[in-house]
Amino acid sequence: MTGVAFAQGGGPLVFEAAREHFKGNLPRALELFQEVAVRDPQNTYAQNQLGLIYAKQERPQEALRAFERVKTQDPLNTFARLWIEILRLKLGQMGQAFSEFEEVLSVDPENADAHYYLGAIYNIRRNRRAAIVELKKARDANSQEPDTHFRLAQAFHNADMVQNALLEYTRTIELNPKHTKAMNNMGWIHYNRGEREGAVALWQKVLTLNPQDREARGNLARAFNDQAREFDQSGRRGEARAYWQRTLQVDPKNKAAKWNLAHLN
Amino acid sequence: MAIAFVLLFFVPSLLSAQSVLDLMLRGQRLNFQGRHEEAVPLLKQALGLNPDHLFARSQLALAYAKLERRGEAVTEFREILRRDPEDFFARTWIGILTERPLEKKPEAPRELSPLQRAAIEEERLLLSRLEGGEGLLRLQINRVVIDAGHGGQDAGAVGPSGYAEKEATLDISRRLKALLDSRTNVKSFLTRDGDYFLPLSERTTVANQYRADIFMNIHINSNENRAAHGTQTFFASEKASSAEAARVASKENAIAKEEEEFQQRPDFIDIENILFQFERKLYWSDSSEFAETIQDGTGAQLGLKDRGVASANFFVLRDARMPSILVEVAFISNEQEERLLRQPSFRQKVAETLLSQIQGYRRVSQQ
Repeated sequence: MTGVAFAQGGGPLVFEAAREHFKGNLPRALELFQEVAVRDPQNTYAQNQLGLIYAKQERPQEALRAFERVKTQDPLNTFARLWIEILRLKLGQMGQAFSEFEEVLSVDPENADAHYYLGAIYNIRRNRRAAIVELKKARDANSQEPDTHFRLAQAFHNADMVQNALLEYTRTIELNPKHTKAMNNMGWIHYNRGEREGAVALWQKVLTLNPQDREARGNLARAFNDQAREFDQSGRRGEARAYWQRTLQVDPKNKAAKWNLAHLN
Repeated sequence: MAIAFVLLFFVPSLLSAQSVLDLMLRGQRLNFQGRHEEAVPLLKQALGLNPDHLFARSQLALAYAKLERRGEAVTEFREILRRDPEDFFARTWIGILTERPLEKKPEAPRELSPLQRAAIEEERLLLSRLEGGEGLLRLQINRVVIDAGHGGQDAGAVGPSGYAEKEATLDISRRLKALLDSRTNVKSFLTRDGDYFLPLSERTTVANQYRADIFMNIHINSNENRAAHGTQTFFASEKASSAEAARVASKENAIAKEEEEFQQRPDFIDIENILFQFERKLYWSDSSEFAETIQDGTGAQLGLKDRGVASANFFVLRDARMPSILVEVAFISNEQEERLLRQPSFRQKVAETLLSQIQGYRRVSQQ
């Protein structure tokens, strides 16, 4: 019985287990999914979730076994096949994972996830063209995943194709209005184009969403320090002081701002 | 009069609200009875009246799922997640429905926004010119951020005759940038282009700002033992490779000790986290490989002792989202090497050597 059929047949235990998993209560979710798997050994959804939980618990060998069971049972189960390769990535076996992602594509040429992971690997290798090609396929196969748009935006951003990068970062944020990484990166496009206010507004928005966001604080400190240095160099000390004070508001121990304020005073 | 006014304004919305609720309840009942085909139009009608009604949408998604119209079900569940990212029910169903390939539905062409049109034009002009092709899995280097160590009130180490590390690092960095700009198609950026102080955290931010493929930190070594000499390259790792590497890292990190450690957002382990960990491990191994390339032959070309490659937990390298190395060109505490560092011709030679090593790395990567 597939996961869909099980859920259709009324699987409150599956949803209870999924809820615990979503809440992050991994030991309880594991127990519940194990129970589902005992009651219905053919339930691929439960087996896959067991694999995921083992992976989260840093038990990669047990995770691999769970996903391999699904793959044997249902060779078209691309979720399990992809996770086998993701675990290989986790174990540092990039070459093997890479070729097997391609194998998933031979089963399902429009598999958005396989294109996504290939694109992500190319992105990490800074192979810009190949990353864009693969991530565009992922986007076109499944345009609703924020992270697909985000990685594609990064690939375009790495290639200085800023219009495309902006478009994809915007789509990322439309799909997930709390995607702070997209906002942080998008801010740099504005900033590097001289649109400092737009950049600062984005990073401040990140801080309203997550006051602890270290990257946004660093970006703002950089922007304010930059502005302060420019004012200082042109003799506009009052404005420089104001910007260094702004730096200290986001990064209270920023040594550059502290030293310069002391020096100005 | 007042009652008539209120009725005029509120009755239509009340009627509409009743209709949505009524339609949704009828749809839910039909779903419960297994009459999913009949439930779909009612639930769609409810959503037409109120697209924010998440329960009606989840009933519609469920009806699609039970009709094996998985693609449409996933679209609806994703819409629920877009509106409420915490909805575990939708998340679970997406997990169940996407285990196997989904049927594809062609999208109707839509009118393009100005940004979309600009993006298409940009892609037409630029994509074919990009380097990189299928199967190239070694790190490709097309952008370098060069960090001139120290600066401003932080002079770094100072030699016996008073030459400061911050002066040498800035000059070598500027020369290296000029060479990269004039002789290669590598884009290069400096973290600082003047004698001012940059906190370590800001240096990494600049590397991230310019989306560097490699982050090169230029430093000059020093030691209480004035006889110490030679060139050495470091890369970031969790543990120092030797006591000496730990000593150098501790010296370079001293400035960061008082910098606030912001509490990092607790992250949940998911696929992006695994990709991130994979990425970081890969960057460490790239950093090690790049450090080996930079160090290999540099000492000989500069006529300095080759002190080899070492790893340590450098603050300035740790937070960079790309492979990063730190080159300690020579010992400013050594009289002879300080004299060399004072010579513009020597600093040019250092820049030329670093350029040639970067080019060597790029050649191998592109094969």
